[in-house]
Amino acid sequence: MTSCCWRLMFVSIVLAFLSGCSSSVDEEQVDFMLGDMLEPFSPHSLDELDAKTTWIDQPVVDTLDRLRSYQVDQGPMPVSVTEALTIKNDSPENNTKIIGALGRVAPSDGQGVNYDDAVVVHTAGDLKSSNPIMASSVTDFEVGDLISPGLFTFDWEMQPLANAEMVVSWRTSDDRMVDKVVLRNDWTWSDGTPVTAQDVEFSFKVIMSSQVKPPAVRQGTDKIRWVKAYDDRTVVFFHKQALATNVWNVNYPIIPKHIYQETIDRDPSMTRSDEHSRLEDDPITSGPYVLAKRVRNQEIVLRRREGYYMHKGNQVRSKPFFSTVRYKIIPDTNTALLSLKAGETDVQILTAEQWQSQTEGDDFYERNTKITGLEWTSFHFCWNLKTPFFSDIRVRRAMSHVFDYDEMLNKIFYGLYTQGRGTFHPTSWMYPKEAPPAYRQDLDRAETLLEEAGWVDHDGDGLLDKEIDGRSVPFRFTVLTNNTPNGVKVCTLLKECLDKIGIECMVKPTEFTVLTQNMRDHKFQAAMGGWGTGTDPSTSLNIWGTDEGRNYGHYSNPRVDELFEAGVIEFDPSRRAEIYAAIHKILWEDQPYTWLFYRNSFYGFNKRLRGYKFSPRGPFTYGPGFRSLWTPAAQP
Amino acid sequence: MLNYLVRRLLIAFVTLLLVTFVIFGLVRNMPGTPLTTDPAMMDPSKQISPEDLRRLEKLYGLDKPWYESYFIWIGNLARFDLGRSIAQNNRPVIGLIGERVGATLTLSATSLVLTYLLSIPLGLWTTVHSGSVRERTLSTVLYMLYSLPSFVAALFLQILLAVKLGWLPLLGMVSDDYASLSGLGKAWDIFCHALMPVACFTYGSLAYYTRFIHSNMQEVIRQDYIRTARAKGVPPRRVIAHHAFRNALIPLVTLIGLTLPALLSGAVILERIFTWPGMGSLFFESISQRDYPVIMGLTLVFSILTLLGQLLADLLYAVVDPRVSYS
Repeated sequence: MTSCCWRLMFVSIVLAFLSGCSSSVDEEQVDFMLGDMLEPFSPHSLDELDAKTTWIDQPVVDTLDRLRSYQVDQGPMPVSVTEALTIKNDSPENNTKIIGALGRVAPSDGQGVNYDDAVVVHTAGDLKSSNPIMASSVTDFEVGDLISPGLFTFDWEMQPLANAEMVVSWRTSDDRMVDKVVLRNDWTWSDGTPVTAQDVEFSFKVIMSSQVKPPAVRQGTDKIRWVKAYDDRTVVFFHKQALATNVWNVNYPIIPKHIYQETIDRDPSMTRSDEHSRLEDDPITSGPYVLAKRVRNQEIVLRRREGYYMHKGNQVRSKPFFSTVRYKIIPDTNTALLSLKAGETDVQILTAEQWQSQTEGDDFYERNTKITGLEWTSFHFCWNLKTPFFSDIRVRRAMSHVFDYDEMLNKIFYGLYTQGRGTFHPTSWMYPKEAPPAYRQDLDRAETLLEEAGWVDHDGDGLLDKEIDGRSVPFRFTVLTNNTPNGVKVCTLLKECLDKIGIECMVKPTEFTVLTQNMRDHKFQAAMGGWGTGTDPSTSLNIWGTDEGRNYGHYSNPRVDELFEAGVIEFDPSRRAEIYAAIHKILWEDQPYTWLFYRNSFYGFNKRLRGYKFSPRGPFTYGPGFRSLWTPAAQP
Repeated sequence: MLNYLVRRLLIAFVTLLLVTFVIFGLVRNMPGTPLTTDPAMMDPSKQISPEDLRRLEKLYGLDKPWYESYFIWIGNLARFDLGRSIAQNNRPVIGLIGERVGATLTLSATSLVLTYLLSIPLGLWTTVHSGSVRERTLSTVLYMLYSLPSFVAALFLQILLAVKLGWLPLLGMVSDDYASLSGLGKAWDIFCHALMPVACFTYGSLAYYTRFIHSNMQEVIRQDYIRTARAKGVPPRRVIAHHAFRNALIPLVTLIGLTLPALLSGAVILERIFTWPGMGSLFFESISQRDYPVIMGLTLVFSILTLLGQLLADLLYAVVDPRVSYS
């Protein structure tokens, strides 16, 4: 084998040198065709369309205004700002008080806002791409939200809406097959060119071109049949199917046609040519901020764009609250916390450990305060249903009865997290009204269930066993986990719990990439994992649908598949909620996962900042998200 | 000599091919691909379609067996093309490495020079004063430094000098207003930023080298020729510097050869703590992202330096040890 490889290597090296070497792996010699992945489609004229369609108005919302009136409805502040700045966040009550007072949005007339302030935000990773079509990382989406917002967004309750800063009207046909959007005429790119419906159509076609390789945004966008710009302001989205998720699918990023139509056929990768590299560092964008400077792996600097809120001498949108937004890239969380304490950064995600033991002293509260918010991010043990152990529903239920939830929540997570209650979060609209009770540790119940499933210590070696295909199989399995202290602790706790009832569990911590690949390849018996939330519950089909890509444990229930199919074509909110609640209940019955806990958001904010509101995905990247953050001119 | 050099270079070339071949095979066979943990793949709302996944695999050459990809890589290398990063938005590997070299050298070269400048006199001093209270104290301190993990020292230094006292910048290589500074101001700015990382980078090897020189010298000064030198009345200083140290240099030269790759490999943990934009963090990130072209680019650079270092060490032997000859 070795000598064969050797020979192969040398022969090929010689060949490679002689032949002047094969070209790089990814060159494609085909001419670029814009939108070549689309099926031909000839839309009606706008008049014909209007004549035959009954339009339903959809929400066009100024998200900042919506948050403002929401806060007014919540009543007066629980405590004064001065008091909120002095209290320590050591209880849920104090958390409510701090966010109630400091979370207030600036008044709509901008009175008392320090518009000259610069905010410094910590981020762990660099911007991969400033081109929203090539975006993939958390930083890409956070920065993209400020420099390249789309026509649509969603609020803190994950309700989709069109952004009133860009859109005049949004209407959907009564058969849900067409969306018509009219853009504002005072929205411009950073080079002064108006943002038009042609840009929206062009961006769609770019995303649907086979030679363009967008990492994230094609999924969903490919459910749209066609996008047609009828004039500079009117754009119509034609769908392939009437889906409840169409409101999400139309939310794709927009790039300037007048720039990219010149360059894209020369470099469809949008990353390689010199002109695209220049655009990467100095992009033409349409948002409230522009990319002013980026020093790779160090910082990303955004500057407020006057052309966004001022148009022909008039103020047409609310003025963005900061003159500069500076993202500081600090990969090490300890260093990041030190920089927050030193006042060098103003906003930072905290870990549970930092929240609990490194931010309770005066060195932190001198300049900062901290907030926690509910996040729909859950962690679980995933059981592989193709193993002889976990194919039996009784064994999976026994597993959920064995685990010591209180020990995990109180000892490992300091009482900061709540117990997992199934696939949807208890505060979500999908969560069933009569929710099943949470599992509690009950070793007797677990042993009974295991006995019913045939797992008994027949040979007296202290380990449960069962005869499978004429062979005695001991109950011994490995649980994979990401190699983080908490992951290892939770799995070790599982191991200790299982020891008590005669099951041997080996904890195998691995690098995250290895864990992910093994799970994707179904090469595991049990594994600890976690999921953030999608914007719509229908997206969790990829976790629970039979043979879906993220269904790592081979779970399959035809009823669940049917319900997912029904949910995505149901438009009535209460009926949709019932469908997803039913899915939730079936999954709870089947226990393909043992749901462990929900991880909350923990944030440190400099005391001069105001206006933060937490969504189920944290305080940013929703509408208004980061845009509601401000600093008062007069600090108490 | 020339004959020797040519032979060594040829062996080095074959070694290089072997090393890259083995590393390429290992890296490509680790579980996971650059697409496994692509953030886009992790978005709970979206799931990349199998067709798009195949398109991306084809784009990055992941659809080919690893040895085929290796030959393509070698082929491109022959045209001085190291390829493009997968995880970092198609940026050329050569550029990624290029933008980190300066930062890494600032740290490692300074640290290396400092280490030698300080450890040689310290090593000789401890030899001369061997057994005295002062020497014992210094040696104990050096031992303690050697055992103190640099990431702990880094954190303490940061808390003390940056957060509590505010004397030095906490992180990074330059200040936010770096571009507007004068030439001298820029140099001062980098100097201030580099102080803590250089200190953390240096003290461990300083302790090690000092002890290394000390123990070698201890061995050498017990030799007969040292006694002879002393007996014939050579001044003690000259005995140490000329007779003893010259002979203690031989193992040191081996170390110099081996430190050459360390000049560029950077320091993963210290770079992360100080947010220093060096090669160590690039290597670390590229491995966890399975960014094959970057891993291979860096492997190539490190291998070349290792081989050059060894060659340099062998050549330096001939300089310091007249018994060694390559002709």
